[in-house]
Amino acid sequence: MIQLNDIQKKYEMGDQILTVLDNIHLEIANHEFVAIMGPSGSGKSTLMNILGCLDQPSYGTYRLEGMDIFKQTQTSLAAIRNQHIGFVFQQFQLLPKLTAEMNVELPLIYAGVKKQERKERAQEALRKVGLGERMKHFPNQLSGGQKQRVAIARAIINDPSLILADEPTGALDTSSGEQVMALFEALHREGATIVVVTHEAEVADYARRVVTLRDGEIMNDGGRETCPSSTV
Amino acid sequence: MSFIDSLKMALRSLWSHKMRSILTMLGIIIGVGAVITVVAIGRGGEAMLTSQFAGGGNDTFEVYYNPSDEEWMSGEDPYSKTQYTEEDILAIESIPAVDQVIAYAQNSTEVGYREEEAMAQVVALNEGYYELHELEVTSGRLLDDRDSDMGRRIAAVNEGFVEEFFEDVQNPIGEIVDIENTSFQIVGVFTRENQSIFDLEMDEILIPQTVWPMLYGTDDMDMLNVQATSADDIQEAGDETTQLLNEGHSLAGEYEVLNMEEIQEGISQVTNITTMIIGSVAGIALIVGGIGVMNIMLVSVTERTKEIGLRKSLGATRGNIVSQFLIESMTLTTIGGLIGIGLGAGLANTVALIAGWPLLISLPVILLGIGFSMVIGIIFGLLPANKAAKLDPVEAMRYE
Repeated sequence: MIQLNDIQKKYEMGDQILTVLDNIHLEIANHEFVAIMGPSGSGKSTLMNILGCLDQPSYGTYRLEGMDIFKQTQTSLAAIRNQHIGFVFQQFQLLPKLTAEMNVELPLIYAGVKKQERKERAQEALRKVGLGERMKHFPNQLSGGQKQRVAIARAIINDPSLILADEPTGALDTSSGEQVMALFEALHREGATIVVVTHEAEVADYARRVVTLRDGEIMNDGGRETCPSSTV
Repeated sequence: MSFIDSLKMALRSLWSHKMRSILTMLGIIIGVGAVITVVAIGRGGEAMLTSQFAGGGNDTFEVYYNPSDEEWMSGEDPYSKTQYTEEDILAIESIPAVDQVIAYAQNSTEVGYREEEAMAQVVALNEGYYELHELEVTSGRLLDDRDSDMGRRIAAVNEGFVEEFFEDVQNPIGEIVDIENTSFQIVGVFTRENQSIFDLEMDEILIPQTVWPMLYGTDDMDMLNVQATSADDIQEAGDETTQLLNEGHSLAGEYEVLNMEEIQEGISQVTNITTMIIGSVAGIALIVGGIGVMNIMLVSVTERTKEIGLRKSLGATRGNIVSQFLIESMTLTTIGGLIGIGLGAGLANTVALIAGWPLLISLPVILLGIGFSMVIGIIFGLLPANKAAKLDPVEAMRYE
């Protein structure tokens, strides 16, 4: 359960104050599949960083699974990111010197999981995203779509409360992009809570709910334009 | 996150930049290696100098004459009347603190063999001489007190003498040489052990002490060494000996004693200061090496900004990031330190072999070396590690 209440984010640039987010109220229930849409500069990346506990707003409250996020210490925020949030980035963000398996293991290392269990869970996650045959491959031996699936395996390894994907198909060709989105859809059917930030309508089509941002404010929240009634 | 995981991560990261890691280590390797080598050479050199000066630690001291200014100015040889008479020697031997007196006469003179003549050092001695000077027989034998008692005209010569006179002779034993128109038969060849760096390599010929007056018409001795009854008595024996000699001879100058303990302290001070000076230069090398490590770690932090951002988004705490970089720099300096110790030990060993002094590398020095390398790693890793830990994950992941 995610509750954003009256979120405001301002940047000071010299004597100019730039309001990136304003008056954001957003509630996302468990098992939802939400797309956050908007043109570049609409504040959707900032919103995602706030949802991912990577950034703090200037004002407002954020409750994730009942925890008041903005009252946490740096260390407990790290633990919350580790345990409750799975990130998927546009540029995959895999460590090039590590195999697919070791990349997927990373969050478990910080969670203090023992080596044998790490290995088993990483292999299981990789099989789940259809990369059971590619576990010992290094990122440069994988295609873009495969890299993104490794990143998704890494995101789900700790069974997070929320999967946050930032333009997950932005660096992929159409067919790889479709495969990645199909994977998200499958995860959603299994009960994962997914928030995808995108500016592509095709990507947003996979979501059950679309939140549209413009100039830092929520313009539209609810059903997709093609299917306005389908909210969860 | 366990230490083992951190260590593996650090090793993997260092391994992926092999050349850079080795070059970075080089500063630490040279620094630690230099410190280890310098300290070992200092200790070894001190041990050797001490053993040379202390006369093997048998509580002996040498008596010498220190002429007055007038004697120096007079134009005559200031040492011409300073020899030790038989009465002197008997009187010194009766001092309670004195165990025995070892006296010998020596003179640099022409020695003849067949048609050749050359300068050599003639030493007239009895067995006591061997307590002060370690001689190794290479062929034949040395002279003993029986030879002296019987006044045998025989001689032992050193290898240098053999080379000078008997180049064309297969076996010098049995050959006859002339000193001051007296013939001596060679009975042995020797070399000096523990030749001190202050001893001149001279062609030497040793003859029985009792033969000396036949050559020079006097039984006065030139060199006087006194052995005290114990180390504690050296001071007393020295004082009484010089008092006796100064009263007995009433010369303008004074007889004095070479105090071994003072010399030993002096040597130890000199070598300590030298070791400290060179050691501190080596220490500066170590600090420069540490700065090199810091520099590379800072570069590494900048290069891996994205990685740090990602690790933070995956749940790495500041502590995790600090320890990742600290362990990395510590691994770097510790491995460098170990290689440096190996290299330093090897170098010190080689020097010890060549110089012929004992190899003195102690466990404490090695442990200190390892500990110091680790500390260098921590100190110079701290700044880069902190810089990495403070990175904002959002900014860091956006970094190109």
